Amino acid sequence: MNVEIAGLTRRFGRTQAVAGVDLSAGPGVLGLLGPNGAGKTSLLRMMATVIPPSSGRLRLLGRDPGGYGPRREIRRRLGYLPQNLGYYPSFTVAEFVEYFALLKEMPSARVPAAVATAIERTGLGDKARARLRTLSGGMLRRAGIAQAIVNEPELLLLDEPTAGLDPEQRVSFRALLRECGEHATVVVSTHLVEDVGAACSEVALMNQGKIVFHGIPAELIARADGTDAAGDAPLERGYSAVLAAARSAAGACA
Amino acid sequence: MTAALAPAPSRRLPPAAPARLLRLELRRNPMLWLLPVLAILFWLGVYRPAMANPPFWNVRATDLQHAVLFLGPLLAGATAWVGSRDGRLGLTDLVGVTAVPRWAGQLTTWAAATCWAEAVYLGGVAVVYGVTAEQAHWGGPLWWPVAVGAAGVATCCALGFAAGALLPGRFTAALAAVLVFLALGGGAFALQNNATYAQIWLLNVQGALPRDSYGIFYPYLPDLAIAQLMFLAGLAVAALGALGLPAAAGSSWLRGAAAALTAAGLAAAGTAVGLAGTARLEAHGIVIPALHDAASDMPTSYTPVCSHSVVPVCMHPAYRSFLPAVTAALGPVLDQVAGLPGAPVRVTQVAVTTVQQESSNGVQLGGPVIGGSPPVVYLPLAGLSLPGEGSTTAQFVEALRSQDAPAILNTLVGLSGQQGLPGGISAQGYDVAPPPGPRMAAQVAVAMALAKVAGLSPGGVPLADDGRTPANSTRPGNARNPMVKGSTSVSAAQLAAARRFAALPAAMRRAWLVTHLAALRAGQVTLSEIP
Repeated sequence: MNVEIAGLTRRFGRTQAVAGVDLSAGPGVLGLLGPNGAGKTSLLRMMATVIPPSSGRLRLLGRDPGGYGPRREIRRRLGYLPQNLGYYPSFTVAEFVEYFALLKEMPSARVPAAVATAIERTGLGDKARARLRTLSGGMLRRAGIAQAIVNEPELLLLDEPTAGLDPEQRVSFRALLRECGEHATVVVSTHLVEDVGAACSEVALMNQGKIVFHGIPAELIARADGTDAAGDAPLERGYSAVLAAARSAAGACA
Repeated sequence: MTAALAPAPSRRLPPAAPARLLRLELRRNPMLWLLPVLAILFWLGVYRPAMANPPFWNVRATDLQHAVLFLGPLLAGATAWVGSRDGRLGLTDLVGVTAVPRWAGQLTTWAAATCWAEAVYLGGVAVVYGVTAEQAHWGGPLWWPVAVGAAGVATCCALGFAAGALLPGRFTAALAAVLVFLALGGGAFALQNNATYAQIWLLNVQGALPRDSYGIFYPYLPDLAIAQLMFLAGLAVAALGALGLPAAAGSSWLRGAAAALTAAGLAAAGTAVGLAGTARLEAHGIVIPALHDAASDMPTSYTPVCSHSVVPVCMHPAYRSFLPAVTAALGPVLDQVAGLPGAPVRVTQVAVTTVQQESSNGVQLGGPVIGGSPPVVYLPLAGLSLPGEGSTTAQFVEALRSQDAPAILNTLVGLSGQQGLPGGISAQGYDVAPPPGPRMAAQVAVAMALAKVAGLSPGGVPLADDGRTPANSTRPGNARNPMVKGSTSVSAAQLAAARRFAALPAAMRRAWLVTHLAALRAGQVTLSEIP
């Protein structure tokens, strides 16, 4: 398993953002769904080694990120797209991607080809020399994805990757996700269930810091059977049904 | 889904990667936009003032060290802006999860910003020194002040960058600029208030010594520059080391190294301040005993340039262009005394004669000295405003004539500074101070007469009807003449004798002097005996 999580918690002051998550994932695309404030981004940031967990066990790519050496090795093989992507306005797309390729300690000789490939895969080939400040929001998002995949990561963590992408770009992005998932573990945090349905081999649903569902998309769809869950698509109805069940269970416990 | 991976062996960062990172940072560094502003500041604050000064290498080098006053605050602000880049742009998470330690990435960014700042500074140095090479008559570039200036630039960048990286905020850049400016100003204030440790001040070149009094006749004393370099390097290392202290900066080993670097930097800076506290001002620069190399005390060898006047005026070749003015200033008096017993046979320029440190970072320089056998006037020009340093050639000639020419006459007739005509000179090698008494009146009268004949300015010898010389007035540039503190009353009889003697034909006056000068100097001539 590339991702092994057991009893993971993360607390910010009095707020329990992640409350005992157990999760494991191997190669493939895992969609992380959940309402706002469910703890998806906090979980992703812990998996990206941005923040350490408050408690619990976290192993990534067979290593414990608690130690600096293993963490550094994980980071070499990690791709991460944060929810709020910052960028250097004066850098070109190619320079931005190259910069992160170098920071990820890719061998220098491989960097130019890897940068070109990443830019092509995100459909920014004709914008490679454009300054980031001149790009639209969707293009910036694609530049962010390019820097995340430039090192051909074994663990790719994407937080709201399709935000700002137009439908055509989203379609091609889903194809990219599937392609990456053939060899790597891809975790995609999103609100858009259609992305999950189209690209993810697994789906996990978070609510109030906990994983309330983990399975394949078909299983999530099946959870809507026999319920009057709201939604325009089967996956949406499954999402709503699981969420409603989780909330009622939480209410009953309270 | 079950691809448990064996830990891969750690890869070393390829050597080319840091260079590529640096290249990227260099190409996209915000400092690039500031280059024109920095160049203009250098031109206004350094180049133009430097070119307005005489083309002495040491003077130009001093201007170059002072460049940090103009560039430092802006550089600190700009690098604070650069240092806070990741925080401002929301990139902290993204760059924080890369394999290269955050500290190394920040050092690369700092290095790029500093490279551009140094490029402006060193480019300016090249221009100033290039022009000076065309203009200067003697010598070569001095590198110690340039090294201090370059270190100052790098340190301002390091301090600003560290402030921006550790305390990213909207006002950090402005605050960094203001604080560096205040620190530079505060150093001057501390120096004015006699804080000996403040000698370390970045803009302090050789204490209060006039800029043309060091680095020409003697090698440039690097003692203070070495301490300043140690201080600046210490500050820079401490600031850059502090970047490696936060938990996100790297491994515990790396953070330990950063802490050690910070401590070492602070220790070096503190040691440098301590060394500066032991500094003392000597005739040719600031000496720090622990850093002083006695070889620096050996005078530099040079072939003087001399005038072809009756009494030759010999100057350092660096001052070649001032030889006509000095000859013109002293010539009339030297013509009057040439060939007389005990009169100087040559005027030789020296760096300084005596130096005494005063309060508020002041300095008192001795005036000319007559010594040796046959007597020679050792003439320092330090402290005088040279042509091109704010005075014209005519003003320089007038100042030199009024300050130093009367002293030659005083010495000739055997008067000390307090007794004679206003003017600064002391004598070595023979007794010039006769016993006080009425016979001294004859010496004053003869000196007054010779001054009148030589056409000295009224400030020197008035021969006024009120019978008083302005000997108790303070000479222009009196810092170099501590001897004129008393006053000399001139009686009507003295005045009459002086007028009478001045009215004599030159040949008769000269003949009388040849015969009676020894007696006059010994106080054995009365006013009535003066023809």
